[in-house]
Amino acid sequence: MCKRAVLLTVVIILVVVGLLPVLVMFAKTLVTDGHFSFASYKALFSSGRQWVLLWHTLALSSLTTVLATLIGLPLGILLARTDLPLRRTLAVLFVIPLLIPPYVTAVSWFHILGREGFLSQLLGPAVGARTSGWLFGLPGCVLVLFSTFLPIVILLTMTYLKTVSPHLEEAGKLVGKWPRVLRQITVRLIMPGVLLGAMLVFLLSMGEFGVPTFLRYSVFPVESFTQFSAFYNFEAATAATIPLGVITLGLLAVERIFLRSKTYQLRPAGTDHQFPRIDLGSGRLWLFAIVSVLSFLIVVLPLLALVIESFSLSAFRGAFSRAGDSLVRSLTYAAIGASLLAIVGFFCGYLIHTRSLPLWRGVDSLTIFLFALPSTVIGIGLTTLWNRPSTNLIYATPVIIIFGYLAQYTALTSRITVTSLAQIPPSMEEAAQTAGAAWLRRTGFIIAPLAKRGLIAGWIVGFIFCLRDTGISMMVYPPGHDTFPVRIFTLMANGPPSLIAALCVTLVAATLLPLGILGFAFRQIRSHK
Amino acid sequence: MKVVAALTVIAVLICLSGCGRKGESPERKGEVVVYVSEDQVFSQPILMDFERETGIRVRAVCDTEEAKGTGTMNRLIAEKNNPQADVYWANEPIRAVVLKQRGISTPYFSSNAEGIPDIFKDPDGYWTGFSARARVFVVNKGSRNKPHSIAAYTDPAWNGKAVIANPLFGTTTTHTAALFTLYGDEKAKAFMNDLKKNAVKISTSNGESADLVASGEFAFSLVDSDDATNRMREGRPVEMIFPDQGQGELGCLIVPNAVVLIKDGPNPTNGKKLIDCLLSKETERKLALAACAQIPLHPGVPAPRELKPLDKIKTTEIDYEKVARKMQEIQPFLKDWVGY
Repeated sequence: MCKRAVLLTVVIILVVVGLLPVLVMFAKTLVTDGHFSFASYKALFSSGRQWVLLWHTLALSSLTTVLATLIGLPLGILLARTDLPLRRTLAVLFVIPLLIPPYVTAVSWFHILGREGFLSQLLGPAVGARTSGWLFGLPGCVLVLFSTFLPIVILLTMTYLKTVSPHLEEAGKLVGKWPRVLRQITVRLIMPGVLLGAMLVFLLSMGEFGVPTFLRYSVFPVESFTQFSAFYNFEAATAATIPLGVITLGLLAVERIFLRSKTYQLRPAGTDHQFPRIDLGSGRLWLFAIVSVLSFLIVVLPLLALVIESFSLSAFRGAFSRAGDSLVRSLTYAAIGASLLAIVGFFCGYLIHTRSLPLWRGVDSLTIFLFALPSTVIGIGLTTLWNRPSTNLIYATPVIIIFGYLAQYTALTSRITVTSLAQIPPSMEEAAQTAGAAWLRRTGFIIAPLAKRGLIAGWIVGFIFCLRDTGISMMVYPPGHDTFPVRIFTLMANGPPSLIAALCVTLVAATLLPLGILGFAFRQIRSHK
Repeated sequence: MKVVAALTVIAVLICLSGCGRKGESPERKGEVVVYVSEDQVFSQPILMDFERETGIRVRAVCDTEEAKGTGTMNRLIAEKNNPQADVYWANEPIRAVVLKQRGISTPYFSSNAEGIPDIFKDPDGYWTGFSARARVFVVNKGSRNKPHSIAAYTDPAWNGKAVIANPLFGTTTTHTAALFTLYGDEKAKAFMNDLKKNAVKISTSNGESADLVASGEFAFSLVDSDDATNRMREGRPVEMIFPDQGQGELGCLIVPNAVVLIKDGPNPTNGKKLIDCLLSKETERKLALAACAQIPLHPGVPAPRELKPLDKIKTTEIDYEKVARKMQEIQPFLKDWVGY
């Protein structure tokens, strides 16, 4: 009874913060002058611009996905399974762009490829004009989003490689060399993980708002924001999101059909069997050079550009005096959001894993759907639902930002929980149940401690995503409660480049420093144990 | 789990403490809420000074470049039945007029508005202008001929050499709507179509237009005076020309900031104090000295050195109410014109 009540409460929370705003927003588009009408949609589909937007959106998502997958898969294998030098350091390096808001990376590239960027200063204004034209458009957006989302494919490849039974590869080695084993056994076995990564990259690129906005490339999320903010055309803003919703639902269906039905040849539980290390032989140093150059180009160089541009005490002083308050707020809201995400995600994950309620599949789909929706859509939905005097406790306070975080990012913590729970033998909970322990007690004292690593990982991922959020916060923040990424965006309008660079460097440091400290602490604890 | 639970309790307590403040009293002492269309980089120091001088905490919502300066106005419209703001600092009067027309603002006559020319004030007190930008030509110094009238945009001699910001957004919309009120619809539409025939490039913003001129890709562009001033201060090869200054010509369009008191805002008394501050000579002096280089409307306050004082400029005589109405009316035409 208690279990049912808790899980239902979590489902209701998810419906209230996520589904309801989107439904209310959708319903509003079907009413014109007080009557039921499809006028907004007729206008949408009769406009040629929508097809241009659709083409832009699909081109950006597809190119980013193809590049990230084609490069992320071999990189994941190289970093996880070979004797490549410094592979751990390189793996950490490649993950950095995922931790920082993508538009910060876009700002970095602007300092390199912009009309007056470093390249222009080095090679002349004609080159600057050409690279600037290249940056402000599809190629620039693809470059930024590729470097941002590449770690997703790398990390999923590395994770899924751990699930492959070493025996299969060893058997394969009896009849062929590593390239053939990788091609015909390993890659095939990890394909669900790679496809999951590709799908995530596609969805995240499709919903990305900050980068196309900064680089002035018209896609649906930008159109939705412009229609809402610049024209106050609510119907057009919402209607512009419908194609994204349809594509998202289509991809979810594909995931259900193709990925969930796959069975994996998992590594035997509890085995300490070592993975066979791939000897790169004479190509080792060449591959190391290639991977190093790639990491320098897509990670180190943009960060370096930001640091150089911001390199003055006055720029940092200006950044702190102009945005110090919003930095504290951002860290607070991200910590609150991450905590609530860890809890809601834990119970959602539990529900999905144990299938305790018949609606588990619906909850799973809902979290993924909300995660894939552009943040601007969730922002507009929240405003539509809560902007009324009776609900000012939500609309006029930071609660609305937290609601936005919960709506958009629960999928992350819920999926992490599902993965953690899958590693806990059901016999543990069953034994406690037989001994008479109530569900809450079992959850609190057995399941949660066993899923501790997943909970902590969920909190960290939640913290990162809340801290880097721009779309939701920008749409809903109450007066005086703007977050740091939003403050950077508002100061960008005619703000001096050195100030913007200093703000971006501060944001990167604010994200990486706590994670670095946490990582160091965990390593110390582990080595102590 | 315990840690997560503890964090949640803290989270809820923080959120509730934020909620509690909201419901304390109809007028929260020591606080004012302002929505700002002016770039935050320029508005923030003014608001921080106000905080320091009065002890009244300012809670602001600022526009982003991407919202094209209308994000906060549209938020005010969305919040008509649930007002959160006390004051709206618009970066041009048209937005203030729209709020008046929609019944979102309320009259306030500030004593600090004395001396500001009547053309920049709403006679009923719904908005008051201060610190203005002028719509000027930024011209590349390498260009042999110089444009002196906006008619240059349709002159075949300048075919493919001129650029203008997207007329769907910002001050270019205001300028276009002003031309419609001055020329009449037919002549204005012909002018817009002639722009296309003359291969005028459409840029995303006035800032980008100024950069394109500074880099020599185009000869001239109509921009805001701050865009031209900033490029001149950066040492770029451009100069500023006030258009249509001759006898019988249209004159230069002046776009002041405008400040508005919001109807039923939570802190009307503090709102009026903030409006008084914004309309003071001191604020105009600060905005003239800042990088936005705005032209003071109060007589006697020195203008930025690159710009002429207001009394030395032949200004376009327009009715901002009419321009606001026209702006909404011509939006479908402009969307069609841009291909939006």
